[in-house]
Amino acid sequence: MTRSEQLAALRADVDALAHADEATVLASLPQWDSLAILLVVSHFEHVYEREITGAQVRACRTVADILNLNSSLS
Amino acid sequence: MHSSLSNIRLAGLAVTTGSVVRDFIADGLAAGVDRAALERTAKTIGLRERRVAAAGITALDLCADAAERLLSEMGLDATSIDAVIFVTQTPDHFQPNNASLLHGRLGLSKSAPAYDLSMGCSGWVTGLHQAALLCAHGGAARVLLCAGDTLSRLTNPGDRSTDPLFGDAGSATLVEKTGRSAPLHFVLGADGSGAEAIIVRQGGARHPAGSLNERTDAEGNRTHDANLVMNGADVFSFTLREVPSAIESVMRHAGYVPATTDALVLHQANRFILSTLAKKTGFTEAQTPMSIVEHFGNQSSASIPCALIHGLADRLEAGPLKVVGCGFGVGLSWGAFAGEIGPLIVAPIQTLPR
Repeated sequence: MTRSEQLAALRADVDALAHADEATVLASLPQWDSLAILLVVSHFEHVYEREITGAQVRACRTVADILNLNSSLS
Repeated sequence: MHSSLSNIRLAGLAVTTGSVVRDFIADGLAAGVDRAALERTAKTIGLRERRVAAAGITALDLCADAAERLLSEMGLDATSIDAVIFVTQTPDHFQPNNASLLHGRLGLSKSAPAYDLSMGCSGWVTGLHQAALLCAHGGAARVLLCAGDTLSRLTNPGDRSTDPLFGDAGSATLVEKTGRSAPLHFVLGADGSGAEAIIVRQGGARHPAGSLNERTDAEGNRTHDANLVMNGADVFSFTLREVPSAIESVMRHAGYVPATTDALVLHQANRFILSTLAKKTGFTEAQTPMSIVEHFGNQSSASIPCALIHGLADRLEAGPLKVVGCGFGVGLSWGAFAGEIGPLIVAPIQTLPR
């Protein structure tokens, strides 16, 4: 998957990120909440078959940080 | 741990729920939450309404009602029960245990032992394994398994991430020794390293009642030390890590495959988790009852028997059905089972008080 494909897949699975780009600051999104974090955890499991924790997602500041979680797990 | 037990059967099931209906959207609006946010959560997680216990009603009351109705439905005398097991984490007292209180309330024989299992959402399966052990190898012919909680009493109404999930219910399951040889298979496990993912910190011997240390998280959810608090994302990760492999393992022992299994009956955590688990284990949504949460809420250890009755009562009464199931949650812990269930007697789901 290219980086842009990864972003598109993330935006499709996590409604809070539907209109976000890599630079978007997560805390600025009105729907960035515990449900969105759950959807990110689910996204990593079913797209990449990788387990991440809620704490890892909460530590992300931007959408790019979420995408970087994938490469940090490689 | 894997265990296969023969010469036992589920003979009857009953569930009694709390009587107070709580509407997810109405409660959220009353708490000042935006309607769009509520509708988004309701759609994604599958929340609509739940039933919680009225003031003064405990898990013991709910289970006693289910047990009395089941024995009546089956035409059985309480003195024919050889043991009673009570699964709960919301007992009436620290001492004596709920099983002893139920023993006295139902008028069981003095030769019938009575003990509790302190387990939550995985507890019905562990209790079923205990009851089956007593029948298969422990000299019992008939064991009453009661499982239920009133978790709505432990959550903080100001904690919108946890409070709207839980309903209150009590179940009664009768397990009997038979000459039937088809085994029930179990896979049970635990991961205590995740114990803090679902916890009530205060009230036990480690942290007796005292200062509540109220706090508010970044999303505005309020909790204190006597509340049930749950890290939803970490519980979700645990569920995806452990439950599919437990289900696949117990199905291997049973020689089952999804296409020839009648139903996958899971602890009714929420629709999002159940839908994900069904996909991961190769079951269709039609095979997987998942509507308990939107009708009753997450009922802890009573949710699997409630899902069996709510989604499959007619087919179980006609039985047998090839059923695979799994409970999972606090501990963290899990228990999966696979085997033929039915024909059995089902008492309809009722509320207390009615």
